[in-house]
Amino acid sequence: MPKFHPELDMLTDYSAGTLPLAQAACVSIHVTQCDHCRRLTSQLTDLGAALMESLQPEPVGEDQLDAVLARLDEASPLEYDRKVRSADGTPGILQRLMRGDFSDLTWKNVGSALRISHLNTGDPQHEFALYHIRAGGRIPEHTHRGSEMTLILEGGFSDAEGSYHAGDFIFRKPGDVHAPTALQSEDCICLAVLDAPLKFTDWRFRWMNPFLKLRTA
Amino acid sequence: MLQVEKITDDGAGTSGSGTRTDEWSDCLRLIAENQDRAAFTRLFRHFAPLMKAFALSGSTLSANHADELVQEVMLKVWQKAGGFNPDKAAASTWIYTIARNCRTDLYRRLQKFDTPLSANDVAENVETEEAFMALHQKRSGERIRQLMGELPNDQAQILAKVYMEGKSHSEVAAELDLPLGTVKSRVRLALQKLQIQFDRKNHA
Ligand SMILES: [Zn+2]
Repeated sequence: MPKFHPELDMLTDYSAGTLPLAQAACVSIHVTQCDHCRRLTSQLTDLGAALMESLQPEPVGEDQLDAVLARLDEASPLEYDRKVRSADGTPGILQRLMRGDFSDLTWKNVGSALRISHLNTGDPQHEFALYHIRAGGRIPEHTHRGSEMTLILEGGFSDAEGSYHAGDFIFRKPGDVHAPTALQSEDCICLAVLDAPLKFTDWRFRWMNPFLKLRTA
Repeated sequence: MLQVEKITDDGAGTSGSGTRTDEWSDCLRLIAENQDRAAFTRLFRHFAPLMKAFALSGSTLSANHADELVQEVMLKVWQKAGGFNPDKAAASTWIYTIARNCRTDLYRRLQKFDTPLSANDVAENVETEEAFMALHQKRSGERIRQLMGELPNDQAQILAKVYMEGKSHSEVAAELDLPLGTVKSRVRLALQKLQIQFDRKNHA
């Protein structure tokens, strides 16, 4: 079971359907893996339903009902089963965005320990990317101009505030500085959702910033 | 298994909304099993006006779009009724989830938002795996519905803005001219009153 979870207001926005798409995609993977957040989200969704039931009803004409009745024989659209995980445990939504597995992706090396692969969610305000950190590898110290949401998919890493493992969800606010190091025992793969590009504060890595320009396309 | 079902029935029987909830679950079952148009019509007459109110909350959708949304949601209810499991969710929660996802998708379509994902793809799975937890969830859902009427106005208003009008906490703060912290703490207080469990350390 994961030890680090999204905050309550984030889960509230998630169950209200107002979280930006890239962030919602990341939260959904955590929720699928975390019993506690799944229960909480389910209660928050019940709350949404109770609020809907207490709205003042708006009149709907009989013509509307007739229009729907006339369409009932339409064939249902096919739906993708998003909950299915592949044999290697990759969450369904990532399989869909990756169109393959981790090895089929185009990775961009950033320094010697980090590779990044961007996935397109269509969210114009957020970058959605997989980070692969070599076992024991350290990500250069960086600060966030925007927020950074991280979900660990495999392995784990540690920084000044703690150590994190598969399923853990970490949210960094603008201005937080950290320098995560992957666990020594295995490579770490995580999903990162950024709402502004990373900015490295360590001078040795400053030249890299152009590579980290916010990419959403 | 039988025992669990019996407890579920008792649970529904003791709550005021129990019978009504069951009526909508029955409609969904009749639709799934018999393509029962009369059951669908009953469901439509109750939920479509709520759906339309939901569509018009936040007032960013035109009346035409609201009607379009009502039709789309009700058609989905018909098509997906076979996937509804009354042991795992209340009928109205299941329908709310469809309405919420359709509204989000409609907003994104209107903003020409080009994405391979639908709101449903990133939505929670309302189904819980174990029978015991499912029962626990159903009870908590009933409790939330009962306690809702006891919320102070200022808390209920903020919840309605977040859920029905689809506003972020900071948008609500700006609109009501309140500090963001006040909005967040009112949401927390409201959730406490509704006995939504939140007993974990690492939620800052
Ligand atoms: Zn969690």
